[in-house]
Amino acid sequence: MNKKSIFYGVSLAALCTFSMASSALSGELNILTWEGYADTSVIEPFEAATGCKVSATYVGSNDDFAPKLAAGGGVFDIVTPSIDTTKSLIDAGFVQPIDISKIEAWDDLYEKFTSAEGLHKDGKVYGVPYAWGAIPFMYLKDKFPTPPTSISVLWDPELKGRVSLWDDKSALYVAARLNGDMNIYNLTDEQIAAAQAKLSEQRPNIRKYWATAGELVDLYKSGEVWISNTWGGYQSSLLAAEGIDVVEFIPEEGAEGWMDSNMIVAGTPNEECAYQFLNMASSAEGQAGVFKVNGYSSTNPVAARTFMTPEEYSALHQDDPGYMDSLLLWTNLGARLPTYTNAWNAVKSQ
Amino acid sequence: MSAPSSGRLWRVAVLSPPLIWTFVFMFIPYSILFVYSFWEQVYPTFQPAFQFGNYLQIITDPQYFNVLSRTLKIALFVSLGAMLVAFPYAYFLVFKVKSAALRQVLYMAVVAPLWVSYLLRAYTWKTILGTTGILNSFLMSIGVLSEPSSVFLYNQTAMIVTLIYVFIPFMVMPIYAVLEKIPKSLTEASNDLGVGRLRTFFLVTLPLSIPGIVAGFTMTFCLTFGDFIAPFLVGGPDGLMVANVIASQFGAALNWPLGAALALVMMLIVLTIVTISDRFEQLGKGKFA
Repeated sequence: MNKKSIFYGVSLAALCTFSMASSALSGELNILTWEGYADTSVIEPFEAATGCKVSATYVGSNDDFAPKLAAGGGVFDIVTPSIDTTKSLIDAGFVQPIDISKIEAWDDLYEKFTSAEGLHKDGKVYGVPYAWGAIPFMYLKDKFPTPPTSISVLWDPELKGRVSLWDDKSALYVAARLNGDMNIYNLTDEQIAAAQAKLSEQRPNIRKYWATAGELVDLYKSGEVWISNTWGGYQSSLLAAEGIDVVEFIPEEGAEGWMDSNMIVAGTPNEECAYQFLNMASSAEGQAGVFKVNGYSSTNPVAARTFMTPEEYSALHQDDPGYMDSLLLWTNLGARLPTYTNAWNAVKSQ
Repeated sequence: MSAPSSGRLWRVAVLSPPLIWTFVFMFIPYSILFVYSFWEQVYPTFQPAFQFGNYLQIITDPQYFNVLSRTLKIALFVSLGAMLVAFPYAYFLVFKVKSAALRQVLYMAVVAPLWVSYLLRAYTWKTILGTTGILNSFLMSIGVLSEPSSVFLYNQTAMIVTLIYVFIPFMVMPIYAVLEKIPKSLTEASNDLGVGRLRTFFLVTLPLSIPGIVAGFTMTFCLTFGDFIAPFLVGGPDGLMVANVIASQFGAALNWPLGAALALVMMLIVLTIVTISDRFEQLGKGKFA
């Protein structure tokens, strides 16, 4: 082999590598999201199809998004906050507008969600709806011969040390509804104080405020807790898999609803991969993933028909706009957030 | 190159790493925290300002006093509890165990848990103290309880027990170290002079071990004071400690200025305690050594 042919060989090899690289995007996506939202059953096919490598970091609450992005560092490309948090991220400039003409499934998504106020600013769209559900209550079936129907059961003296509530400002939403204050995202100082007093009154009943999905499952499994609020569909299915019979219910005082959206972090260097991911997440593949892993309802009713049985479709309220409207969809608290957080901390510091 | 200048270079080379370390990892972060504590929260995040609102809020809102005094109380109980367990143990190891090998084994038994993750150790206590846990099963099997009790877990007692267990090595190590250094001749001399064993302990051994006790107490106290895992794992609805509140200000509330002010107040309390204990230790030395 002479020098010339070596030269050609090397050039050819280099050319091949180069063209291979350009046929795939070969970017890297760092996603800040919820457990179950980056399951390998969805991520592996996505990586194979696009060449975008995905690494996920998980949050324990919506309150984790802004601090992680505020700390800077340009680590994350995509975040998946709920609809009560999206607006803060937009206003803080942490996320960038999305070109919805690049999102193929956009018109298939529920209009209620795509038009949600929390995703829009100055005529621009900032998020692609991904999954939704309710925050119902859940109880151990064998401990309640008469099924509870009202939130007031959580205050029943009979249930001393048997109740758990999510360690989150949303505990105030629960107490406010019991007080008859349905404007839970816009409570006055007096209403917050009343909710705070209600929660203090409830403390003998509280075994533990649950902080993670896994913790709540453990509390039921080890017999500590009989009744709590829950991320609808998720913990109950984990408990069912353990053979523990729990029942979810929407109390007569109503339940909060949530909706998570994928957003692109401002200034990401991996924009092309980010759009690929957003497209995948809102397509049938991505929606099937979140349904199968988490048991959450789909934001894409068109795609949902392809992977849900008709029974599942109605069980998850995909064909029931009335149900969706009955939920008190989480809303950004804006400048009132610190007041809510302080009230919740005050309950816990007594 | 002349000898003095190379000596100076040498000194600079030896001293720089610790000085740079202190500057980069202590001085700069604390200065930033100090500056933050005068900023103000403005939706959606926070902005530079110079105002004392954060400190005022800590003083006027009773929740911060509650949490701080609760944290102090728990740290005190943990330190006292750890001391009451650690001192006899260390004493036993140094003065009663004759075999050096056995002493080594028993000493390692206390220190070895440090190699296991704190989280894992705290989790073990959940399985011990829980309603269907080991303690309940045991008490029911010997007939003390007829049905499982829920008083062992998810309250402040559970936090104190867990924290004593987790931080006890930091109490045993310094006490063991001082007890080991006490010359046998001193206690022997005391005995020779006709002083009983109990008085010898209170007049000779205990005073000489004060520096170790103070060191252990200070360490356990500071570690407990800043803990936020135990409240999360084994604490109940009344388990919130000051580090949890700080974490929630930096996280949930996105009120870094208030969090920074709280962190500085907390640091001030810890520094005060370290200073007092340092005085106490000096006092012990002046009187007995």
